[in-house]
Amino acid sequence: MAIRKWLVVAKNEYRIRVNSIRGIRPYFPYLVTGLLAVYVAFIAPAFVSLFVDDFIAFFLSQFALAMVPIIMFLFFFYLIILPITYTLQGMQAGRVEIFLAAPIKPSDILLGEFLGVTPFYAIAITVVAGFFTAALSPLGLDVLQMAITVIIFVVTFLSALWIGTVIAALARTKFAESARGRDIGRALSLVLALPMVAVMYAIIGGGLPEALANPGTSGTVKAILGLLPSSWGAELVVSFAFNPGNIGAIGFETFTRLSGLVAFFVAVLWLGTKAANRAYSIEPTTFIASRAKPDGYFYRAVRYLGGGGSFGTLLVSVFKNYGRRLENLSRIAYILGIIIMVNVFFVRDFTDPEGPLIMAQFLFPFLAVFIVGQVAMHGKESLFIYKKTPNGVGRFVKAKLIQGWLVAVPIATAITVISLIRVPQASLIPLLAYVVIIILLVAANVALALGLALLNPQFSESARAQMSGLMVNANIAMFASIGVFIGSLIALDLGIFSTLLLQNTVIWLLAIIFLYLGKRKLGRIE
Amino acid sequence: MKVVIHSDKLSKYYGKGGEIKAVDELDLEVYEGETFGLLGPNGAGKTTTVRLLNCIIKPTKGTATVSGFDILEEDTKVKRVTGLLAESPGLYEKLSAYEFLEFMGALYDVPSNILTERIDDLLKLFELHDRRDYLLEGYSRGMKQKILIASALIHDPPILFLDEPTSMLDPRAALMVKDLIKKLAESAGKTIFICSHILPVVEELCDRIGIINQGRLIALGTVDEIIAQTKTKTLEEAFIAITGGVEEKELLAWREQKSGDS
Repeated sequence: MAIRKWLVVAKNEYRIRVNSIRGIRPYFPYLVTGLLAVYVAFIAPAFVSLFVDDFIAFFLSQFALAMVPIIMFLFFFYLIILPITYTLQGMQAGRVEIFLAAPIKPSDILLGEFLGVTPFYAIAITVVAGFFTAALSPLGLDVLQMAITVIIFVVTFLSALWIGTVIAALARTKFAESARGRDIGRALSLVLALPMVAVMYAIIGGGLPEALANPGTSGTVKAILGLLPSSWGAELVVSFAFNPGNIGAIGFETFTRLSGLVAFFVAVLWLGTKAANRAYSIEPTTFIASRAKPDGYFYRAVRYLGGGGSFGTLLVSVFKNYGRRLENLSRIAYILGIIIMVNVFFVRDFTDPEGPLIMAQFLFPFLAVFIVGQVAMHGKESLFIYKKTPNGVGRFVKAKLIQGWLVAVPIATAITVISLIRVPQASLIPLLAYVVIIILLVAANVALALGLALLNPQFSESARAQMSGLMVNANIAMFASIGVFIGSLIALDLGIFSTLLLQNTVIWLLAIIFLYLGKRKLGRIE
Repeated sequence: MKVVIHSDKLSKYYGKGGEIKAVDELDLEVYEGETFGLLGPNGAGKTTTVRLLNCIIKPTKGTATVSGFDILEEDTKVKRVTGLLAESPGLYEKLSAYEFLEFMGALYDVPSNILTERIDDLLKLFELHDRRDYLLEGYSRGMKQKILIASALIHDPPILFLDEPTSMLDPRAALMVKDLIKKLAESAGKTIFICSHILPVVEELCDRIGIINQGRLIALGTVDEIIAQTKTKTLEEAFIAITGGVEEKELLAWREQKSGDS
């Protein structure tokens, strides 16, 4: 009998995912199962026992009525965007052609792709469900309530993953065929997580827990989230906490909520298989070729800034190549989103300028790395163009640095001015001085980020590899900035203004050193 | 001679109102056991034709039969009797050669007791047996192409579609692929449908050729017949005569312009 096609695809997907651990592949499932069993049986209960009174108080509070649905919503949303992000970052239309040429139904491909990665998501589901059951256990839930709690987590999370897998497959069809589409896909993959980050920031620093202690607010949030399937099971878990060992008291609620959740899962499974035909197609989705417009005022100004001659042309070319990639603009949008959320949720109560300035220490190095940190993303060949030309390496580094400044400095200035305007006691002259210092610091951060990127060039075409390279450099730049700032603030006790001046000097020195080393490395790359 | 590929006004249009005619009313017959070459410039409609005949995309109008099976009604049967080497296929680079062929064999329902032996045979044929457990990401371009051809042969299809089989290969790998195609046509009796814009490859391998331009089949016959029809001396000249080309004078016009200015 021929093996089921979805199983073939699932096996293949699984093999690809465990490729990096080929040596232990045969033992991997047993190893993971064993570790998870230890976690569920010992580690999670042991951890919960440290805070058992807090957990009991939490589950029996007004706060939990809205907080548990919020937590479930966060997991639900995260598991939807996870496969989408993964797909958008590394889309390949060619693999779809392999499937389409073979005698296999699109629904089998979709199901196979889903089941192939499910074991890995099951690890996350077990960790979360194991933690919740351990936290609920001291309340005295009976075996049936525990089993239903586990079923709720499994069904809710699998529904989210399936929805994410279907959307990912549809997105691949929409975007993978053209270079523009792949760019859009990568751009989207970066900003998808922002709504989730917003909710998390609201919980951590935005006063959401305090607000939810109010029954009115809690009731409103609960009612809104109640419309989402992620809440159907979450509310049942809270009901179990209020009625431990007495499922009969909430028998109807248990039946309706659980049935609704299972019906939702079956419905999305069915709809997903129906959508599969549209999810696996290599028909072109667009015939619009992007066309360059004649240079406007902006590029003419950039050319003028570059001296108007051949370097001006080079600077404009570098700028165009950067600005026409939605992925780059999306990175800026992402970091701007984070900065805005940090200011909204964490900097609310500052009455002096130090608060916004300290926050800037964390975020502007990221902004700088996100803007100039991918000099090598198009492979060595693109860098060889500069190596081949007279003084090409130096001119490339100079052009990239100016381009980085032209993007980062106005953004950082605007953010700093808006942040400082919100500080009621601040007067004009010190604010202007702070703005100037921040501008200089951001310019230094850009130079440092470029130096780091050149010193450790990321040649991989993989969006995931590029992002991990960026994050490494961003963390180095951030810790350098914060380290110098806090170190000099504590050790020298100079006051914030002088500390910022000292920090500027040190970061500029570091930037010059790294830029020199990076340029030398670029000149020696073979 | 038995016709194994027959297209009847096969068309694929894109865009609003179908203004982009990727393939336009293609009438074509390919005979059993022959090696047929579809020649054409970039964007002429070769790959679209192959995708239509392999049921990867659906025609806007017209239809075709492959080995007697209708591409609109019997797509699964068509897929079972054809093997495809796509122009830019997505290899699973994190699989070994053996794993990839095992996967492809399973997709085509090759029984597992036959599959292992067939993979070994194909890897030996392509001189890759000693590298069977290496990941494909470490293979050279030529080696990857060999694996892709092996994957097209894994279910032993009577009809083989090869879209630009040598375009990315170095001369040595290209020679090896050409020899293999010849062997498949002569010894194994396969019907081979090659798409290419590399004229010597088509000239050397194909019994008959068709020239396609802007979606329309504009010439059909043996190489000698097409040269005779166009009253030229070589296939290259015939191809340029049929599809149109850029004159050397046009190419160098900017130099003349510049020297005229100075």
